[in-house]
Amino acid sequence: MKRAAILAVALALVALVAMPGFSQTAAQKANLAASLKVDTSVLKSADNQLLLAPSTDNRKVPTRPADPSALPETDPLHWYDMEWAGWNVTPTNLPKSPADGAIGKKIIFIVHGSHPWTTACTSGAKKVADAYKMSFKVLDPNWVKDVQDQMIDQAINEKPDMILLIPLDAKGAVQQARKINQAGIPLHMFNTLPDAAALNYSLGWTGPDDFGQFRLLAKAWADQMRKQNPGAKTLGVAYVQHAPGGSPYFARSFGPISELATYAPEVKTLEKASPTPATFDANTTMQLVSDWLTKYGKDLKGICASDDSAQSLGIFQALEKAGRTDVVVVAAGNSKQGMDLVKEGKLFGITYQTAEGDGALAVKYAADWFNGKAMPLRQNLAQHIITKADVDKFYPPQW
Amino acid sequence: MADDRSLGSSSVGRLVSAAGVYGIAALFLAVGALLQATGIIRGFLTIQNMLNIVDAAALVGIVAVGMAFVTYSGHFADMSVPTTMGFTGYVCIELLRYGFIPAVIVALAIGLLIGLMNGFVVGKLKANPIIWTLAVNYVTMGVIRLIWVNKQIYPDMRGSGQKAVELFDNIYRLRFFNLIGLPVVMLLVLVVAGQFVMTKTSFGVKLKLTGSSLRAAKFSGISVERVITTAFVLTALTATIAGLAVTSLSRVGAWYNGAGYDFKAVTAIVIGGMTLAGGRGSILGVLGGSLIIGLLNNVLTLLGVGTFSQDMIRGAIFIVVVGINAKSLRSLGRDDA
Repeated sequence: MKRAAILAVALALVALVAMPGFSQTAAQKANLAASLKVDTSVLKSADNQLLLAPSTDNRKVPTRPADPSALPETDPLHWYDMEWAGWNVTPTNLPKSPADGAIGKKIIFIVHGSHPWTTACTSGAKKVADAYKMSFKVLDPNWVKDVQDQMIDQAINEKPDMILLIPLDAKGAVQQARKINQAGIPLHMFNTLPDAAALNYSLGWTGPDDFGQFRLLAKAWADQMRKQNPGAKTLGVAYVQHAPGGSPYFARSFGPISELATYAPEVKTLEKASPTPATFDANTTMQLVSDWLTKYGKDLKGICASDDSAQSLGIFQALEKAGRTDVVVVAAGNSKQGMDLVKEGKLFGITYQTAEGDGALAVKYAADWFNGKAMPLRQNLAQHIITKADVDKFYPPQW
Repeated sequence: MADDRSLGSSSVGRLVSAAGVYGIAALFLAVGALLQATGIIRGFLTIQNMLNIVDAAALVGIVAVGMAFVTYSGHFADMSVPTTMGFTGYVCIELLRYGFIPAVIVALAIGLLIGLMNGFVVGKLKANPIIWTLAVNYVTMGVIRLIWVNKQIYPDMRGSGQKAVELFDNIYRLRFFNLIGLPVVMLLVLVVAGQFVMTKTSFGVKLKLTGSSLRAAKFSGISVERVITTAFVLTALTATIAGLAVTSLSRVGAWYNGAGYDFKAVTAIVIGGMTLAGGRGSILGVLGGSLIIGLLNNVLTLLGVGTFSQDMIRGAIFIVVVGINAKSLRSLGRDDA
């Protein structure tokens, strides 16, 4: 009886010690309390938007089909492994949150390469890191995967509290994530979706929901084409695609195609192509679209571009030369050129792609994890379509 | 058009040489017309479509005309063209606040300085032209990122006057009779001037001799360093002009504005009948090469050929032409193409 009582007390003590926060020092508890009081909801990005706008996407994650690739490309579930990547992972050897507060933590932020977008993204991340008085270090491999590998080694050697990573290569990210995981350092991936296996080693993934954004954009686009062409039995459209290989290449053309297959079946895809050799060269896009206008004439009623800057300017140059003002054009945004085109009434709509919010959300995810909050496997940025009605709210541009 | 020795001894080579690059262009036009007549494609033989082709070829043509001087001098190509285009575009936008003309003049001056540096290092210090200009391309990209902290800049957000911004916007968008764009006019002016310089001036003669045989040129008392430097300066000049036009079209200063124009220009030069070994070819041929690329893209798109397949076809044509060139040169005892 006595032995049983001792055993029960011992078990209770073990359970107590195992409880989060029990073994924390007073300083850690104070740090956690102070961290939980940090209010990042008031932070704003350079375009005067909330830096951490809550996601408005309420869609439920569908069940994965046995073989998505067996479905036709016009079926949204064909794209399941891209659109819903990150939701069906098998967490492997993931560290537990210390739940001792985000303030003062050291994070290393490894991006993909130098670009104005990256500068804005880093700026947004730093705003949140500064709010939590984190030590924030940025490593930039300048688009070279081997250099990113070296930077991951360097980051591991520095023993940070967390590594935040934009993977440069979807497949290569698996090895990178495993290496960080084996070093016992928490990892969070963001912006670019890696191969699903890499996400097994990541606390989570945050970033834009390109497919979701483009499904939203596609509906607004189809509605406008219907409005401009009442009673039309067929609405011919074309897609100027992103650089091949990455998720935007698929999301920004097959997202709308699979969405409109049911929402607006009268919309028919006439062409889809990525301008080559320079995907984001206005002159190359202009030639491509000019040729489409020659080929399809008035049958071409809409164009969806994967970029609202150079590609869109090339598209409108071609349309102006052809004297066409009836083609409804939408694009992924939101660069200054794109917003100017929306303001001029040329581009009908662009997606809100907050670069600062992207970086900020990643650091906020890290902070919430340090604060011991239960974190989802995936968090998307808020979705929004910018049109002429609200474009003024998004000036000045983030980059 | 093209130098009659340029595509020497093979039967294909002889045919191409006899007809010139414009013979190939005429062949493409005939194929397009035939496809239209048989109903396979539509809208090919229209003024608008022809103008579209010329418009699309204009910027590549402008770069190619300048780069042809480097190729003609026997120094292959200038790989610093992309960032020269991007950098001078940035400079022009940054200086628009001081007026359109000063901004353009300074941008041109900086472009010429890059050309002068390339010419000096390749001509005087005998650096490998490809390696050196590639290095300059990377260094210039670094300079751009350092100065503008990785940010893009916009003409109307640098405190520039409305008039200067409008003038800058019109570098690409100004159209004569609502048909002919300013880049097309610039291309034609550069072609006439380039052809004149290459064929009717003492510099052109010296350039030809330098490109044909550097040693012979030296023994003839030609200052080959000066000739090579001038060739690189001319390349930088046209790269800057094209850079300003691309930046005007994109309405943004961005380091990637000139991306891809180096290879496109080399393709136009080679298809235009100029040999990479130097000393043979013509500016009129380069113009034809640029137009052929535009025509080819146009016909393939109208046929519904995907852009990736178009890349393969362009690459294959490049390889075939270089192959014919190399064979021709070997038969002449020069296998350095």
